[in-house]
Amino acid sequence: MMSGPTPHYHLQEARPDPEPESSAIENARRATLNILEDFAAEKCELESGQRATLNILEDFDAEKKRMAGAERAVLNILEDFASEKSQLEEFQHSFLNILEDFSQEKNRLEGTQRAVLNILEDFEGEKANVELVNERLENEIRDRKHIEVEMQRTNMELSAANKELEAFSYSVSHDLRTPLRSIDGFSQALLEDCADKLDATAMDYLHRVRSAAQRMATLIDDMLNLSRVTRCELRRESLDLSAIAKSIASELQEAEPERRVEFAIEDGLTAVADPQLIRVAMENLIRNSWKYTSGHPTARIEFGRSDANVKDCFFVGDDGAGFDPRYAARLFGAFQRLHTAKEFPGTGVGLATVHRIIHRHGGEIWAIGAVEKGATFYFTLR
Amino acid sequence: METKTILLVEDNADDEALTFRALMKNNISNQLVVARDGAEALDYLFATGKYSGRDVSLGPQVVLLDLNLPKVSGLEVLRQLRANERTKLLPVVILTSSNEDQDRLQGYDSGANSYVRKPVDFNQFVESVRQLGLYWLILNEQPPARR
Repeated sequence: MMSGPTPHYHLQEARPDPEPESSAIENARRATLNILEDFAAEKCELESGQRATLNILEDFDAEKKRMAGAERAVLNILEDFASEKSQLEEFQHSFLNILEDFSQEKNRLEGTQRAVLNILEDFEGEKANVELVNERLENEIRDRKHIEVEMQRTNMELSAANKELEAFSYSVSHDLRTPLRSIDGFSQALLEDCADKLDATAMDYLHRVRSAAQRMATLIDDMLNLSRVTRCELRRESLDLSAIAKSIASELQEAEPERRVEFAIEDGLTAVADPQLIRVAMENLIRNSWKYTSGHPTARIEFGRSDANVKDCFFVGDDGAGFDPRYAARLFGAFQRLHTAKEFPGTGVGLATVHRIIHRHGGEIWAIGAVEKGATFYFTLR
Repeated sequence: METKTILLVEDNADDEALTFRALMKNNISNQLVVARDGAEALDYLFATGKYSGRDVSLGPQVVLLDLNLPKVSGLEVLRQLRANERTKLLPVVILTSSNEDQDRLQGYDSGANSYVRKPVDFNQFVESVRQLGLYWLILNEQPPARR
């Protein structure tokens, strides 16, 4: 840093000696003088260098003082810094504490996050399930809507068909009976007014005409009753079936008091059903039993609840003429008969009517029987 | 002497003949007036049309009314009858082939006094007519005439 003037030496070259002796001394003296001279110059130079150095040192001292000042200032700063540092350390410490707390918190959060992730994962699975179920439900709804539309259409068709049937039945009821009245009435007029002109055969024919007309009238009425069972609206009420059975039984006994028929009617049997239709059904069943036991001197007719494993299964049974089980399938068909009109009168509509009534109630009806061993009709109501 | 007229509203000639016969058999000798459709029945009852000028004070005593009639239906005849001050108390027996619930209900609803279904068996019909005549022409007391 300090660069003083560099001393340098001039070495004079030895000149050729013209006179070896005196000149040699002279030369040496001169040379020495030169050296001294050179040396003096050198000394001056050195002195000025020393002075410069001293100046420099003096400068350096000032510098040093400044430095010391600066050092002090630095020390002061450092001191300040030290207190600052302790504060910082404190801060750092507390920060570390916070970090530590935070780290615990983080662990907890991570735990929670993991749990949440698990839940989300489960939820994903569940969501997929729900989506599947949703899809199925949507399909079902679509199907149902389709079915609903279909049902509405069918209902409209059914309602139209019912109206037509209604009109048809009304027409049958009015118009088919009118000519029958003429056939019967004028045959009877002939029998009365022309009796003297008619022989026995002619009279017999007229009687046949009349009974055929009357039978047809009965058929028409039965047919109308059968269709009425289907046409009328179903009205459900709580019914005492035992009471209905008893009132039918007493009507029958009053009409034919000479018959010896024992009725065994279980008490307290009830059902929720249409009062008019159930009355018609039970009357048909009990009247059937009454009719088909008429060939026996004594008979027993029973109404009760079946012990079979079917809920609310009732039965009407008798010990009368029964039926051939081979033809059981024809029992409930309209206008189907298993006996001739001579054996037992009837049009074959009664059991068909019962069948329709039970079916309209959502129930079932079936029969068990054998020839001359009676018949039992079982039915359920829903 | 007061004649008790019977008004029979019937479009079927056979039924008309059979009803007449049944009345005869029961010795019911009242005058029988036959209207062959609903409009003719209303003309007779209200003394209009071909019956204008008829003495309405002469009855009828009872109306035997069929339901299925040309022009004006039996139920409509009944309603107009009941809406008229002079005929609203007149005894009306519905005599018809139908035993449909709706006909019976509407018949009574429109003010019929009685509803009888014509049986196919003529002997039963004669018996029905006998009872009707006995009841409506003999037993039943007419409402007093309005002053």
